[in-house]
Amino acid sequence: MDPYTISVLSNVALFSFLAISAWLLMLVGCVSFGQQAYFAIGAYVGGLTTAVFQMPFALAVIFAVLGGALSAILVALSTLRLSGLHFSIASLAFAEFIRSGLNVIQYQRSVDGYLTGPDGANGFRDIRWIFDVGLSQGQYFVIILAFLLSVIVLIIGLSFGRDMMIIRCVGENARLASAQGINPLQVRLIMAGASGAIAALGGVLYAHMTTYIEPAQFSVMIGVHALAYGLIGGLGTVLGPVLGVLIDIGALETLRFLSSYRMVVFGGLVVLILIWRPRGLLDETFVARVKTCLRR
Amino acid sequence: MVDFVQNILDGISVGSAYSLLALGFTLIFGAMGRLNIAYGPSIMIGVFAGASLSQDVTGSLILVFGATLFGTLVATLYVERLSFAAVKTDAVLASMVSTFAIWMQFDEIIAHLFPLRTYAFHGWDVATVIEIGPFVIRHSILLNLVIVFAVVVGLRFFLYKSYFGLALRAVTDNRQSAIVSGVNVARIVLIAFILAGTIGAIAGFVIAMGDGQVTLKFGLWATLKGLIAMIIGGLGSLRGAVVGGLVLGIIEAQAQWYLGASLREVIVYALLFLSLVILPNGLLGAKQHVHRV
Repeated sequence: MDPYTISVLSNVALFSFLAISAWLLMLVGCVSFGQQAYFAIGAYVGGLTTAVFQMPFALAVIFAVLGGALSAILVALSTLRLSGLHFSIASLAFAEFIRSGLNVIQYQRSVDGYLTGPDGANGFRDIRWIFDVGLSQGQYFVIILAFLLSVIVLIIGLSFGRDMMIIRCVGENARLASAQGINPLQVRLIMAGASGAIAALGGVLYAHMTTYIEPAQFSVMIGVHALAYGLIGGLGTVLGPVLGVLIDIGALETLRFLSSYRMVVFGGLVVLILIWRPRGLLDETFVARVKTCLRR
Repeated sequence: MVDFVQNILDGISVGSAYSLLALGFTLIFGAMGRLNIAYGPSIMIGVFAGASLSQDVTGSLILVFGATLFGTLVATLYVERLSFAAVKTDAVLASMVSTFAIWMQFDEIIAHLFPLRTYAFHGWDVATVIEIGPFVIRHSILLNLVIVFAVVVGLRFFLYKSYFGLALRAVTDNRQSAIVSGVNVARIVLIAFILAGTIGAIAGFVIAMGDGQVTLKFGLWATLKGLIAMIIGGLGSLRGAVVGGLVLGIIEAQAQWYLGASLREVIVYALLFLSLVILPNGLLGAKQHVHRV
């Protein structure tokens, strides 16, 4: 594959992490505008681990995932009791707090005679792990893909037991779920932690691909995009958010001939999809139909 | 102390515009129970329409305001038709994401029609100031306050003295019983959008005149500020929207003066987060928004 295709596909894969993370929360009825916060946390924690403290990449991934999950759980502990729109705005406030906080934070250390580390709004340069170990763009894409596939397989695995049913039940009707002996708050807390971890995993992979991160990359726009991907692709399966990312980035790449009007065309397309299928292309009904077909 | 009071005055000036944006959000959220995140970008369409006239025909403010109003209303109705009227009634999320898609459209249309980064927006000469003792009062503060006051009084009169107002409040309180009582909900919602669009156009006009220019960031800015002001004041409360806007403006002005621009954002968002967690109903919102399952 040529470098261009690889870079497009890498972007699709990286945004899929963010989209899946927002989708997981949507399943339990929480609409988060702020998953980019955990993406940013993952990116910065991962970058600090390899570039500043010169530790191995595996540790960077572990620290990033732990950091994402822990911060997501801490935030969720205080916001999960809020209802609908309040939860969304609280998540937005947290994400903007993180973004503007990163604009102010400076922590630089001298590594091999160069200053490395987050430098406020100027960003965080030289996260050069892939160059240090000599990975090509294609090889790194395989790593991203391996992580993404394990996340997807893990989530699909949930639907073989009762877990997915419990999750969807909480999202559909929390009161009914608690009547069934499910603790909705507990389920939501676990999902918040999981979605924070997944977003952070995407973040650490993103930081090491681009080698440069800055707070402005983690704006509200990214978060709302992540939310939109799940709803365009469909809420019925974990492949929905991935399909959403594919449609968005794929359409943007193929509509290049429309040059400056492609967002107008794409936006119109999304609006029509949502009128036709308000829960996305791969919605629950569609997934259920495919499953019955497969059983025959 | 002088600084502190001066900051409050400046905060009120900006905050009154936030109040108008929050009022528009509250009207739409009340009527539909859904979020229209394309509200800010719709106003941006209007403001740019106004700016395009403001470049050529200077002096005719009524014409500029007319263009702003027209642009905002066309954009608002486009959003209402595609993202609210056409989307199924139980699909709250679909509506919101749909307005986001339309936002992307608006951004690109404006970026295409107005390729420069900033455009001048001429208005009254609001730079002149009145000095009372140590305090500097810009004309824009007085103007903003008068306009906000007029809008709030007009809106209140409209909501509590007309059939439309009664019907809109019925739809807001309980959509089902409004339908049963013979209210034409689709028409009421349409009127609510027109009303919100008009308020948005007034807000956009005032803000653009105060800044003297408009940029492509206007849409995101207006949506964020309006949403935050609405939530601080209390979801669903018109009085809360006004108070929320003023409080947000004053806090921003104080933080900007004492801490600087970059720390201001950190403080404002931290406060917003904390206030949501501690006071989920906002300053003046109805109690019932916290559900403990």
